[in-house]
Amino acid sequence: MTSTESLPASATDVVLRIAGMTKRFGATLALDAADLTLRQGTVHALVGGNGCGKSTTIKVLAGVHRADAGRIEMAGSSWSAAEYDARAGRAAGLRFVHQDLGLFPELSIAENVALDAGYPRGATGRVSWTALHRRVAGLLADYEIDASPATPVAALRPAQRTLVAIARALQDQEDDRHLVLVLDEPTATLPQHESQLLLDAVRRRADHGQTVLMVSHRMPEVLSVSDDFTVFRDGRSVASLVGARPTERDLVAHMTGIAGNPPGTGPAATGDASAASGTPAGTDGPEVVLDVSGVSGGPLRGVDLQVRRGEIVGVTGLVGSGRTSLLKTVFGEHTPIAGSVRIAAGPPGASTAATVAGRIAGGVAYVPEDRGGEAAFADLTVRDNLSATVVRRYWRPWGMAARRERVDAAALLRSHTIKAPSTEAPFAALSGGNQQKAILARWLRREPALLLLDEPTQGVDVMSRADIYRIVRETAGRGCAVLVASSDQLELCGLCDRVLVLRDGRVAAELSGPELTADRLTALTQSTEPVAGPAPAPGERR
Amino acid sequence: MTLTNTEHLDTSDGNGSDASAPSPVAAPTPSSRLKGFAERNALLALLLAVITFFAVYPESSATFFTSQNASVLLGNQSVVALLALAVILPLVTGYFDFSLGAIAATSSVLTAGLMSFHDLPLGLAVAVGVGVGAVIGGINGLLVTRFGLNSFVTTLGMATLLGGLIQWYTGGQTILAGIDPALPRFGGSTWLGLPRVVFVVLITTVALWYLLAQTPFGRSLYAIGSNPRSARLVGIRVERSVWTTFVLAGALAGVTGVLQLARAGSATADNGTSLLFPALAAAFLGATAVVPGFFNAVGTIIGVLFVSVAVSGLTLSGASAWASPVFNGAALLVAVGLSHYLGRHRGVRTG
Repeated sequence: MTSTESLPASATDVVLRIAGMTKRFGATLALDAADLTLRQGTVHALVGGNGCGKSTTIKVLAGVHRADAGRIEMAGSSWSAAEYDARAGRAAGLRFVHQDLGLFPELSIAENVALDAGYPRGATGRVSWTALHRRVAGLLADYEIDASPATPVAALRPAQRTLVAIARALQDQEDDRHLVLVLDEPTATLPQHESQLLLDAVRRRADHGQTVLMVSHRMPEVLSVSDDFTVFRDGRSVASLVGARPTERDLVAHMTGIAGNPPGTGPAATGDASAASGTPAGTDGPEVVLDVSGVSGGPLRGVDLQVRRGEIVGVTGLVGSGRTSLLKTVFGEHTPIAGSVRIAAGPPGASTAATVAGRIAGGVAYVPEDRGGEAAFADLTVRDNLSATVVRRYWRPWGMAARRERVDAAALLRSHTIKAPSTEAPFAALSGGNQQKAILARWLRREPALLLLDEPTQGVDVMSRADIYRIVRETAGRGCAVLVASSDQLELCGLCDRVLVLRDGRVAAELSGPELTADRLTALTQSTEPVAGPAPAPGERR
Repeated sequence: MTLTNTEHLDTSDGNGSDASAPSPVAAPTPSSRLKGFAERNALLALLLAVITFFAVYPESSATFFTSQNASVLLGNQSVVALLALAVILPLVTGYFDFSLGAIAATSSVLTAGLMSFHDLPLGLAVAVGVGVGAVIGGINGLLVTRFGLNSFVTTLGMATLLGGLIQWYTGGQTILAGIDPALPRFGGSTWLGLPRVVFVVLITTVALWYLLAQTPFGRSLYAIGSNPRSARLVGIRVERSVWTTFVLAGALAGVTGVLQLARAGSATADNGTSLLFPALAAAFLGATAVVPGFFNAVGTIIGVLFVSVAVSGLTLSGASAWASPVFNGAALLVAVGLSHYLGRHRGVRTG
């Protein structure tokens, strides 16, 4: 890394400059004369809340959208917005790795690389596998990916898959490092230790002279890896920090446009530890809503836990520790092979069947981790999405009470501060944060006795994150028991009364009160100490 | 989808909201409302345009715009219309059922055969025909949901199988004799100047519209079509619902077969493909209208009318026999293209 004080960047340093870029979608101004300057050999973070225009910028650079006005300068050439297209960007050296990596999991690394660059051919026109494997092996060594070219991509760890995508994107780069790597939310779907591996690798590339433009929601990660920062707000570049060392608070202040540390967007919003209400789970506390005892199945090997009325309990652990399995078992989607799940506070006479429908009737709500895959109805309306849990309420013998339903949906949008064009707009038109708030609203309107949240703020912008934390706290304040699974230790510290650490399929530790810190949680999560507890249930599955 | 035409227009709640509070819900702009209105009614407008054209066009004006032609047209299309309604049931949840044409043919042949070969009374023969349709639908549904087989291939296989069984049962012969005359009499009679079978279609359309748009079950079917995993996690019994659509579609195809027998007065040893493809075309055309982007009952009927009116007009103006399949095929391609476009431009845009 070079000196951080070399300000301002000399003209020769600049590999990419965007000036006055404007892009309009119908009535929405997505980019409003935005600027961005990228220096050679740096990692440049592009940050901002959802809807600030960073995705639009990336899409303009990739040639997916054409900007309405502005100039793009790169590699000694200059284009007006109208002239610029995907081919120009590629010729000038831009290479993209999107959140969806575009890899074929069943195919080998070598084939994934070859499908992008072409297969080397032998004399008769047949594929020369030896040449391909030799070349890919070199690439893997260069990117420090510990795998053979014949390994299927599906067999790699998540961080390695991203690295393969990066290596593939940059494979035609010679030693002069002329290419610019654009990473769009590279860590959004990775657990923390995997993101760390990936970011370390990206940092090493940059130290060797690679220029990287990175978009990310995760502030601590951005801060750990980036040299320069550009902050977008409402389609404008509101701050350009070159070689500075901002704190998380500085960045959030720029993103929100509120100086200092306003309530609701400060520590809680970014996941700093804030004072938890700290009710220790005494033996004579409020009634137990959820009682899990000795549950085994999948990665779980005898989990015991209780959640009381009004309590927010966190669950953390490495990927594969069973966080998600635990929630799905409680929700009735997975059937445990041993142990019992008791839910005590459903409405009287409600079903107690251990099926999804039974659990819902019993007052349980579940917001899954994979919003697009397991929660959203992307092409249905916002109203349909909000009503999905309560459709029967609107049924009359002469049909659905459509007006009533719309009025209720509009009221929910207001009370949960969800930004939507209208109740009849397709759900996909909402930003990630607003979608998540809508999914939460869908369940909270049932006034659940037990709320299960799996990674509630993944891929959610800072402002919506603050809203979600506030809503979850208010819900618990009304007496709902909340169980939150998350890999974000800071989030758990800020939100939960106590946090359980899952390891080896069992509860390895429990932290509450002053003990509950992110460092302690991280240490306990990563620990390799064997977990004391009952012997694994007989007949357990892998 | 739940909304009828007029309800769709009114999306903002006029009263009862706090006017002083900044609302995150923006009222739709007049231009977007207009665009939505145009989109929902484009197919209907096109239908009216085609009717007007052939009513005025000198080659066809003499015969086209007569109550006689309307009666013949509606009577002949009622069979396709009924099958198209059956087709959309599994389509709403995201599954194809290619065997519905063959189920209709099976029901037709079986109903005729039971009366002709086994001297069963009319009522019982019809009940068996419809019942067998439901049972075959149930088998399809079971294969697709319980065993997770691909619906495309499964129902194609079922269609081929049924086509073979029809050949075996009839020996390749048309069943002419022994059919209770009450059935063809019903098929040929009129009420209020329209063939009676048209009213069967009308009642079925209203029933299906009610089921799909006005009941929680119908809403859950659209939810499954949108995202089955999400549907499961909001408590919808996905497999059972999908299975039910296959059974209902099979039964409706069974009714179609009986109706076909009533219209024709005889049952040919046909595999039903000639019926299925116009029905599919109408279903996909219908998904571009009324509730654009989604299969719906009213749109499907407009789709049937559009294709049949255009073909009738072409025939009456002296177009050759090839005009009908060419128009059907072209309409299907345009419809699929349009619904793809409608689905896409409803799509994502994030910051």
